[in-house]
Amino acid sequence: MNLRTKKILSMAFENLKQRKLRTTLTTLGVVIGIMTIIALASLGDGLRSEVQTRMESGFELNVLIVFPGSLTAGLGQPFRPSDISNIRSVSNVSLVTPIVTLPSARVFKDDSERIGAFTVGAVNFTEMQKMLPERFQLIDGAFPAAGDNDTIVFGYKADTRNGTIFAKVGQNVTMNIKITYNNQEFVINRTLRIAAVLQEGGTSGITDFDYWAFIPTETAVQILHGEYYQTILVQVADPEASEEVARDIEGKFEPFAVSVLVPSTFIQQVNNILNLLQIFLLAVASISLLVAGIGIMNIMTVSVMERTREVGILKAIGAKSRTVLSMFLAEAVWIGAVGGLIGLFTGYGLSYALASLISRFVQPQQQQDTLFATPGRQPLAIHPIFTPEWTIAAFIFAIVVCVIFGLYPARKASKLNPVEALRYE
Amino acid sequence: MTAIIEVRDVKKSYRMGKVLVPALSGVSFNVDDGKFLAIFGPSGSGKSTLLHLLGGLDRPDEGEILIDGTNILKLSDADLAELRLNKIGFIFQFFNLLPRLTALKNVELPLAIVGASDKEALERAREMLRFVNLGARENHRPYEMSGGEQQRVAIARALVNSPKIILADEPTGNLDTKTGREIVQLMKKLNKEKRQTFIVVTHDPRIAKEADRTIYLRDGLIENTEEAGAAKEE
Repeated sequence: MNLRTKKILSMAFENLKQRKLRTTLTTLGVVIGIMTIIALASLGDGLRSEVQTRMESGFELNVLIVFPGSLTAGLGQPFRPSDISNIRSVSNVSLVTPIVTLPSARVFKDDSERIGAFTVGAVNFTEMQKMLPERFQLIDGAFPAAGDNDTIVFGYKADTRNGTIFAKVGQNVTMNIKITYNNQEFVINRTLRIAAVLQEGGTSGITDFDYWAFIPTETAVQILHGEYYQTILVQVADPEASEEVARDIEGKFEPFAVSVLVPSTFIQQVNNILNLLQIFLLAVASISLLVAGIGIMNIMTVSVMERTREVGILKAIGAKSRTVLSMFLAEAVWIGAVGGLIGLFTGYGLSYALASLISRFVQPQQQQDTLFATPGRQPLAIHPIFTPEWTIAAFIFAIVVCVIFGLYPARKASKLNPVEALRYE
Repeated sequence: MTAIIEVRDVKKSYRMGKVLVPALSGVSFNVDDGKFLAIFGPSGSGKSTLLHLLGGLDRPDEGEILIDGTNILKLSDADLAELRLNKIGFIFQFFNLLPRLTALKNVELPLAIVGASDKEALERAREMLRFVNLGARENHRPYEMSGGEQQRVAIARALVNSPKIILADEPTGNLDTKTGREIVQLMKKLNKEKRQTFIVVTHDPRIAKEADRTIYLRDGLIENTEEAGAAKEE
């Protein structure tokens, strides 16, 4: 910074100091603008990171989920064993395991008390352990061995019910399934031994495993008299190749016969939506800064009129138009810089205040730990994230807005004719 | 002796609404370096206009003005400002100090515009204030000073860049007789000691008396020129 710039800045500061109330009020506009921008930006970043963490912990990025049918063509036919070998042949696929969903299945305890909230699925336990190693961990018991078909593995929620253990490993339960065959309804009951209980897995991209109960695939095949799968999980060797694998899988079927959910793409889409939301919020916040800018323009225009004579004196003494221009712009720069700086800090404060307010309002009702309650969700807690990028950008934005809006009055001052300005009363 | 200012057939009119009002209708004269020139005339005679032209605050419609050999008609606005900054000091009837600045800061102003260092500006400004006998008043603001003191601050400000030419517009017009005399004496002293050229526009015959030469202006024309003599008493 050369001497002249320094002088001009210090003179501008002195000038502003002479008009304390006016300067404070003008600066306040900038403070509010920057405060809003910083608060919304950091909360937006916090929300995105929170959602991202949840999605990433909810999805296995290397596991694609294949459903029959599509949104446009409607629900398709269940998969058959040939479909599975078809998918296995796709390159980059390291593991394929099907899931049979038994929507009509209900599980009862010996005393006929229904364990209602559980969805029953039939899986190959060995493959599932490889497919979802983090979710298929046990807190009690052991996965049933091959051939040990009259068994069931409960999700974590079976373990606690009002503090008491509901499903104990070794106990028997009765599974009741309704099947329609040749327009006739059959009810099949089967007694199963609780082999194990899964550890808490939380919500995944597929479902909430804590509310599932799993039986061996063979058991389902026996009951249904055939292999019909509703979902196929596909592990890809390289998550980067997910999109390609998904396309290849779809290529193996008739058009619209299957849908492949690619977690990374899904996460990307959610991210895009969050980005849009943040841009929208920032646009709203920017409006408040623009209003502040107009305030600056207004005040400076008045100030130039009041100081017409002063401009005349400065010009008579030898100040160039450019010098007069920079003197007035320097005042705008000060307002932007000081307002921006205060705005940053108050923005940090506002951000934390809003975050705590949001978590208080969004907090779900006190959760009852029963099996019949809706699946539990962790409370949404947004932790504001302050990136240096936003901080610097907001600060520069404050100064730029002030300079842009200060330009017109400053130019007006600099263009004043010295003789007329000196005559101005 | 060389002429520091040459004025050749200068004409200037002002537009007031739709009418063109002539202020100067062809004025020519020279001012030698280090002289004390008084421009005398009634209001509306064009003397303030002439002073503004000499100071490069405005440009003539016709004619030429050479200041220290430079034709100011050919200068850009920025170069004119540079010329005012380095070669010309202004003293006004209403002092024209910046009301919010102290005496010292007012005197420092031209140095700030030049871009002098704080230390240099402070030293020069103090020296000038001492020279006009206001050393004790440096931290006073204009409203805390008398008219004579304010005018002396204005003189100090005009002199701080050591300009070759000082232009004064009715410098005693707003002062009582005694103070006015002091200001005239101060200007005279500067003219002698610092060899600066003074051009003073005035109604005040005492200034005319002190001048090396007096130009009488009427209706935009030079009516009469008197060398080192007493002005007509009005």
